[in-house]
Amino acid sequence: MNVAIVGCGAMGQLHAQMASNCGLRIAVCADAVKARASALAKIHGAVAVADIDAALARKDVDIVALTSPTPTHAKLIVAAAKAGKAIFCEKPITRTVAEGRTALTAVQKAGVPLFVGHVVRYFQEFEALRLQAQSGVIGHVGFIKTFRGGMCPVGSAGWFRDFAKSGGAVLDLLIHDFDWIRYAFGDIERVFCQNLMRERPTIMDYAMVTLTLKSGVIAQTIGSWAHPEGFRVKAELCGTDGMLTYDSAEAPIAVMPRQHGKKSPNTIVPSSPVDKSPYQLEWEDFIAHIGGHAPARVTPEDALAALHIAECALKSAKTGAPVTV
Amino acid sequence: MMKIGVMSFAHMHAYSYAACLNDLPKATLPAVWDDDPKRGKAAAKRFDAAYFSDLHRFLYSGLDGVIVCSENVKHRKMVEAAAKAGLWILCEKPLAVTVADARAMIAACKKAGVGLGTAFPCRFAPTLIEVHDRVRAGELGEIYAASCTNNGKFPGGWFADEKQAGGGATMDHTVHVADALRWITGKEFVKVYCEKGRLLGRDTNSDDVGSVHMEMDGGTIVSHVASWNRAKSFPTWGDVTIELIGEKGVLHVDAFSQKLDVYCDKTMRHEWASWGGNADMGLVRDFVEAVRARHAPSVTGEDGLRAVEVTEAAYRSAETGKMVSVRA
Ligand SMILES: NC(=O)c1ccc[n+]([C@@H]2O[C@H](COP(=O)([O-])OP(=O)(O)OC[C@H]3O[C@@H](n4cnc5c(N)ncnc54)[C@H](O)[C@@H]3O)[C@@H](O)[C@H]2O)c1
Repeated sequence: MNVAIVGCGAMGQLHAQMASNCGLRIAVCADAVKARASALAKIHGAVAVADIDAALARKDVDIVALTSPTPTHAKLIVAAAKAGKAIFCEKPITRTVAEGRTALTAVQKAGVPLFVGHVVRYFQEFEALRLQAQSGVIGHVGFIKTFRGGMCPVGSAGWFRDFAKSGGAVLDLLIHDFDWIRYAFGDIERVFCQNLMRERPTIMDYAMVTLTLKSGVIAQTIGSWAHPEGFRVKAELCGTDGMLTYDSAEAPIAVMPRQHGKKSPNTIVPSSPVDKSPYQLEWEDFIAHIGGHAPARVTPEDALAALHIAECALKSAKTGAPVTV
Repeated sequence: MMKIGVMSFAHMHAYSYAACLNDLPKATLPAVWDDDPKRGKAAAKRFDAAYFSDLHRFLYSGLDGVIVCSENVKHRKMVEAAAKAGLWILCEKPLAVTVADARAMIAACKKAGVGLGTAFPCRFAPTLIEVHDRVRAGELGEIYAASCTNNGKFPGGWFADEKQAGGGATMDHTVHVADALRWITGKEFVKVYCEKGRLLGRDTNSDDVGSVHMEMDGGTIVSHVASWNRAKSFPTWGDVTIELIGEKGVLHVDAFSQKLDVYCDKTMRHEWASWGGNADMGLVRDFVEAVRARHAPSVTGEDGLRAVEVTEAAYRSAETGKMVSVRA
């Protein structure tokens, strides 16, 4: 099968490699900035284009990977569905729930497979947490605490730092935790959120969210785009008979590059290699789904549900009141 | 030599404070009162003090001050009695179970002309003192947000009974962080939202975990976990952590993580052995000094009241499902 990568930035480059690892051929690399498309096309022996509509319409493309900035997703999903392509789309599915509904309708009408990259479901540490919790080793889980964050990303033309485009740490970052908590522990009843970006158009965001699940379980998730450097993930599950904790800072490998001169302070770069990247695992799941096997671990409805939680959180941050999901 | 009595050993911190009194060169612990005679006699014996079952005789036995460590709900009665006897008072946190009680206690002490302090040992932890000093020196610039935890193991006993404790984990474990943030930032809390529940199966008629969101004046946003979520097998009692998001940087403090990991085959347990500063000693020394100089302890009854206002607002929020004002 042939893949068209649409959006050849950080995630486009990663997903081209993952799709290629799965034995797919990268046929087309499309980007609004032609030079970016060309750079990636060169690596994979693909055709580089800047005309996105033309890329989506090509006969030699079976799968479209949408790895462009979030606000471009809605239009691209609809166009790819109309062209009859199988669609891999990075999270969030779209910038707004309303857009997401329109996109899903188009996908259903076209009858094409759509997979949204809620990759945390495929992260080995999070799957281990879920399975350990499910095994009952810590009894009934009643409280969940997560942290995810680090530096404020920039992105092409600074799109991450434009709240209207990225939705800030809540919509872009914490959506991972919203999805995983919902996946592992069930639906959310209400959400309360405080964040920075809403009021302070600075270069940073910091979001603190409490989710109350339908089961009564409480989850507090913190998302940071406010740290001067690094990226860290922490998770803690508290149960009636024990606790499960994870901290990415306890990685097995730490690399300390020696920097000469007085540039920036030295940073420790942690590394935690696994047999297979979670990003490759999501591609394998998607490919099996295209092949007519069972639904993928993430359904389009799951992606929409996670986005809905994020929207409710942003509404709560704005109003200072809890929002029923 | 300041003569300081201990009023009730219901709260386990009393044992630590009593040990501090015995260690301090300028203080003695001559008298212990407890409404549980067995507990009181044992404590008196352990700390080489006289045991009193009669409150009046205890209060007029020649003491200069008392440390109150009764069940939370009895704080008011104890403090009012001690104030009437003209004694300086250090009261265990939370100062009271209601704002009304806390106000009455402050008024009683004022009327009697005695100093009232609230036992917030965090103010004397070298880790948090350093954080306070660096923040006040402007190292982080303006503080935009804070994310905090005060987790612990389930204490059981009267702590599990709302009627005696005034609340559950959210009451027990919000006041330290509320006070520490007021002290570190110099700002007051204005609004509180709280989700809480008995979700961890702890044997209590109140909540065993609370997720609290607060706003301070100037708009600083704060989240906090107040819990008894630590497993029995967890290697230490719990934690106090604060992450500050500032204009010029981020600061994270895990206030009591100066520790060794101890792996013991005799007990088949992994535990922490702490080697950091003794915050309780700082607290008790400050109180003894206040008694001697006849001024208020540095952490006052008003400080205790401010923290009670926050917890009372948290419970009000949980009841109404709304974000509520701290000054109702
Ligand atoms: N799952 C994850 O771990 C993860 C991590 C980061 C980002 N993401 C998501 O991936 C998506 C892309 O993020 P990124 O970090 O790669 O961003 P990026 O800015 O690095 O790359 C985006 C690319 O898309 C191009 N582009 C812009 N508009 C376009 C358009 N209309 N059509 C085609 N190309 C266009 C840009 O020129 C750029 O090369 C976002 O939705 C983001 O939320 C997911």
